[in-house]
Amino acid sequence: MTNRKAEILILCEDLQQEVFARSCLIAYGFNRRKIRSLKSPKGKGAGSQFVLESFPNEVRVYRSRSANLALFLVVLIDADNYTHRERLSHLENTLINAGLAPRMLEEKIAVFIPKRNIETWIHYSMHEVVNEENIYPKLSNQSDCKPYLENLIAQCREDRLIDPPPSLQHGRAELRRIL
Amino acid sequence: MLNRIYIDNFKSLVNFELVIDKPIQLLMGANGAGKSNIFEILLKVQSLLEGKKVQEIFLFSDLTRWQNSLFLTIELEISGNNGLYKYELSIGYEPEGRKKRVDHERLWFNSKPLLNFEKGEAHLYRDDQSVGPVYPFDWSQSAIAALPSRNDNKLLTWFKEHLSDNLIIIKINPINMTGESERGEAKLKANAENFVSWYSFLSENQGRAFEITQQLRDVFNGFSHFQFVQFGESIKALRVHFSSEEDGNRTIGYRFDELSDGQRVLIILYALLGILKDGFFTLCLDEPDNYVALSEIQPWLTSLFDLCGEGKAQAIIISHHPELINYLASDVGVWLERQSNRPTRIKRISEEEGKDLPLSELVARGWIND
Repeated sequence: MTNRKAEILILCEDLQQEVFARSCLIAYGFNRRKIRSLKSPKGKGAGSQFVLESFPNEVRVYRSRSANLALFLVVLIDADNYTHRERLSHLENTLINAGLAPRMLEEKIAVFIPKRNIETWIHYSMHEVVNEENIYPKLSNQSDCKPYLENLIAQCREDRLIDPPPSLQHGRAELRRIL
Repeated sequence: MLNRIYIDNFKSLVNFELVIDKPIQLLMGANGAGKSNIFEILLKVQSLLEGKKVQEIFLFSDLTRWQNSLFLTIELEISGNNGLYKYELSIGYEPEGRKKRVDHERLWFNSKPLLNFEKGEAHLYRDDQSVGPVYPFDWSQSAIAALPSRNDNKLLTWFKEHLSDNLIIIKINPINMTGESERGEAKLKANAENFVSWYSFLSENQGRAFEITQQLRDVFNGFSHFQFVQFGESIKALRVHFSSEEDGNRTIGYRFDELSDGQRVLIILYALLGILKDGFFTLCLDEPDNYVALSEIQPWLTSLFDLCGEGKAQAIIISHHPELINYLASDVGVWLERQSNRPTRIKRISEEEGKDLPLSELVARGWIND
């Protein structure tokens, strides 16, 4: 019999975010077979709505099952034109609207909000100087970011990121929730 | 990497072109849309290049029923060996009769000819592009298959070997798999019924066998190891050993054909991932998700996706499964469709698709590309 039990749920907008998050988690030492990815099953451009709609239920599921399973919930949503704080509020509001308590510090729920979007972090990892206003080009193959992520993770681990975009700094703080 | 396939006058494929620009590509479509026909013709080309006769491979019923042409044409573009190969094959059918022959077969490398085989006469070109000899050739078979490898035709030999060894076209059917093998076989057959013989060949490389075993220990509760057990002089059976925590290290061996259909398919799927470290392979997988437990599809798929993304392999997958559709379709999905007695046509998934419903749900409702 097979024995897979997912313990790390990645909730994200699209395949690029999924590859980025999954590769980072594997580089951090998470078992790839324990990872379950839930990206928008809809077409392109519908990703942030999918994350906002799915978030409260995934938090509910996390809370109801984390007593029995060592669960982690990893959420990615692009900031797009919003600030980091505004995007976080969007997620928090979905919890309030669903009658759920806000995220607690001890809960292993990490929310990553790249600004403007995941490509900013990817291009930063590729040693480019980035800002959070420009829109950086998408990679033709999502996996092309992978060779750079181990180095990014190593820099995160050792707290030696050089001039990272502010949203990535927030991301480092979120990472501590699940490590 | 297989970059382009052009097929004309084969079943539902008429003037059909599939350009592949991603390391992993998902082919979707209703039953009868013509998806598997693409793999079928690739298998026929592969068999021809391995030396089988035209008469053994191509059937009169292969020709598109509503066409009058007696020529079946295939073109392939394959990047590899630091360049781009273009291969053209045309099979000619005799009217009324059942005889077939190679009408022409041509191969180029970086737009420079390597072979022009036409009407039974083969014009050869050396690797240095100089004009080589002209031979009369038996047009009941491929000239490429018949040519021995030499020092001045390494480019042609690479193409032949790549198509034979590194193009794997599989529709796994666990029903006909046996648990025994008489000898190791380097090629996995199209239905994977010779898996035990193939694994016997694979396991000659201990590092590779170890890696596959390690992967399977992650996948299956209690999976311990494979073991070949000799029966008589030439037959050996593959046993798969499992242990349980209660029994300590004691394992029980099951013949491979005693395992469930799903277990056998998963073992093959992970064995396929295991060989990808040996070179660049193109995997054409027809519904690999069949028989596989829902919880096991995504871990295997993401492993394959990663290997393809790292440039270690190419995968062309046919699937109806929502897990694959929702993971891949919006980025690398291609929709095939056709009307009754009409040719297969390709539609890319447009940006507008799936704004309101998951792509798998659009497929389930028959609304895709409406």
